[in-house]
Amino acid sequence: MRLDLFNTTAFRLSVGYTLLVTLAVAVTLGSAYLLTESLITDEVDLIIDTELKSLQEKFARSGVPGVTDEINLRIDSWGRIGAVYMLADANYERIAGNVTHWPFDGMPTEAWPEFEIATIEPGRRAVHPVRAAVRTLPDGDLLLVGTDISQGRRFAEKFRVATLWGIGLSTLAAALAGFWFSYRLARRVGAVTRTCQQILAGELGRRLPVAGSKDEFDALAASVNRVLDRLEDQAGTLRATFDSTAHDLRAPLQRLRARMDALLLRSPALEPQVHESIESALREVDHLQRTLATLLQIALAESGAPLAAPAAVDVGALAAELVELFEPVAATGGLAIDCRQEGAAVVQGNRQLLAQLITNLIENGLKYVPAGGRIEVAVRRLTDGVRLTVSDNGPGIAAADRARATQPFMRFATGGQGEGSGLGLSLVAAIARLHRGRLALESNEPGLKVVLDLPG
Amino acid sequence: MHVLLIEDDTEAARFLLKGLRESGYTVEHVADGRDGLFRATEGRFDLIVTDRMLPHVDGLAIIERMRAAGIGTPVLVLSALGSVDDRIRGLKAGGDDYLTKPFAFAELAARIEALLRRPNAPHTTRLKVEDLEFDLLSRRVTRGGRELELTARELKLLEFLMRRAGQVVTRTMLLEGVWDLHFDPQSNLIDVHISRLRQAIDRGTEHPLIHTVRGSGYVLRSENS
Repeated sequence: MRLDLFNTTAFRLSVGYTLLVTLAVAVTLGSAYLLTESLITDEVDLIIDTELKSLQEKFARSGVPGVTDEINLRIDSWGRIGAVYMLADANYERIAGNVTHWPFDGMPTEAWPEFEIATIEPGRRAVHPVRAAVRTLPDGDLLLVGTDISQGRRFAEKFRVATLWGIGLSTLAAALAGFWFSYRLARRVGAVTRTCQQILAGELGRRLPVAGSKDEFDALAASVNRVLDRLEDQAGTLRATFDSTAHDLRAPLQRLRARMDALLLRSPALEPQVHESIESALREVDHLQRTLATLLQIALAESGAPLAAPAAVDVGALAAELVELFEPVAATGGLAIDCRQEGAAVVQGNRQLLAQLITNLIENGLKYVPAGGRIEVAVRRLTDGVRLTVSDNGPGIAAADRARATQPFMRFATGGQGEGSGLGLSLVAAIARLHRGRLALESNEPGLKVVLDLPG
Repeated sequence: MHVLLIEDDTEAARFLLKGLRESGYTVEHVADGRDGLFRATEGRFDLIVTDRMLPHVDGLAIIERMRAAGIGTPVLVLSALGSVDDRIRGLKAGGDDYLTKPFAFAELAARIEALLRRPNAPHTTRLKVEDLEFDLLSRRVTRGGRELELTARELKLLEFLMRRAGQVVTRTMLLEGVWDLHFDPQSNLIDVHISRLRQAIDRGTEHPLIHTVRGSGYVLRSENS
């Protein structure tokens, strides 16, 4: 399984982290911008307000001529810093000041109206934004004072661009850091996942990679590796125990067989009756050997040791071959057997064990389904694996007994002819478990339906 | 035919020696892996029969060292370890056949014969026994010039028997060779398939070609030979 970077916790975390960084930087820089802008405006407003107040006092003291003089005086000394003055009558006609005509359409409604003044400076025409305030003098004349705010505007504009760049760059930096972080994390976790899958697939000697950085990943890998060491050790001991048990049980059987074989080959030939007894005893030895082999196989599978050297097995093709193999025997017993399978249905497993599993299920049917019945083997692909179904219309297994049916030496009253070892379904269950499959016994209404889902 | 038997179980070895000698083989017996390896690498045997678990040097190690030394003598492994992967390991190590204990002597005899007669013209395109002819390229079979209708599996079974014409093949050899199944199903599967093949090949002829060998298996051979 390939690790999808965009589907990792680390990736999701870093996306969240990036958003958080963006938000924090935006709030910080944005409020600094707004604060600075309002500071600049407040200062301008204070200057305008002060000017208006002093001119209003002048009017109170010396009327329109006094204000006109004062304005003319201030234009001269304040002109260079961009101060704007205008005294107009009630009809907005200019009385004094450095603005040629009333810049508004009547009386402005807002407290701090803004307008633009075109000036001709040496060599170029310029348009200056002006922020102003208007007061009505007691005699109905209008007094306008404003300030060129192009400097402040330029400053605010620069600040705004800097803010946007700041937000953009820090988002980019956070995203890059997050991406790198999640990539590194995904790679390390991915390596662990891959190793675990290899171990599950039977490569018991594999260990988790230790980067040598002595971080929490290394600590985790080291602990898991110690667990794996112990598991491998136990698997080895178990294997050795199985081997010696198998050897100790089979060697005497071999000697027994050899002696009986020798008797049968002896000349002069034995009496027919003795010959027949020995042949019957030989069949018992074979039966014993098969039971022993099955028990060892079940025990090995149940021990939790993983499947050795799994390979691709087409369960569909295998089922079809086995059904073909059993067809003549089934026909002899008056049973119909068929296989339904569509295209390749490949799983990772052991062909011999899976063949044994299907064989056991078919033989189970042959044993219990009365003449005239049918056995159906079906294989189909699931989205994440393969489903094998073996069903018959025989007596089936009572619902209460189904759970116990896969336990060793379990036989049921229904229809059995006393043959068999009672291990068939246990071996099926053991092989299914060894392949990490899910086995279910169901009613086929009537009959038995065995469903095995194998991971693909 | 010279056979080397490497087996540490003295009683089992005694029976095998007796049986093989009675079957006409010249047999030499050693009882441990070290001697076995020494004798095997001398390389003057036609066949080696070795137990899997041996004192000093394991049976599979003997095969591996033999093969490394370039000795291609066929080896039959006898093993008390019967699980499927033991078998696979045995064959991977370079063994030519693998027999799980306990086995019938007839089974061993049939397999030894098969190993000694191998290879039986593997690249031939036409098999012929008496008036039974099998064209391997067109997959057509005729008996006395009359074409026979056979299923794909029956053809495979017949090819297996014809390639070993005159040799006894056991039921397990057929299961392994024709169906690639390395365990014994309980039913008499092979007998039924053989009887069907017999119906197709031998029915109505004066000279049946497929014969049952009691206690062993089957053989395809002409009466006169």
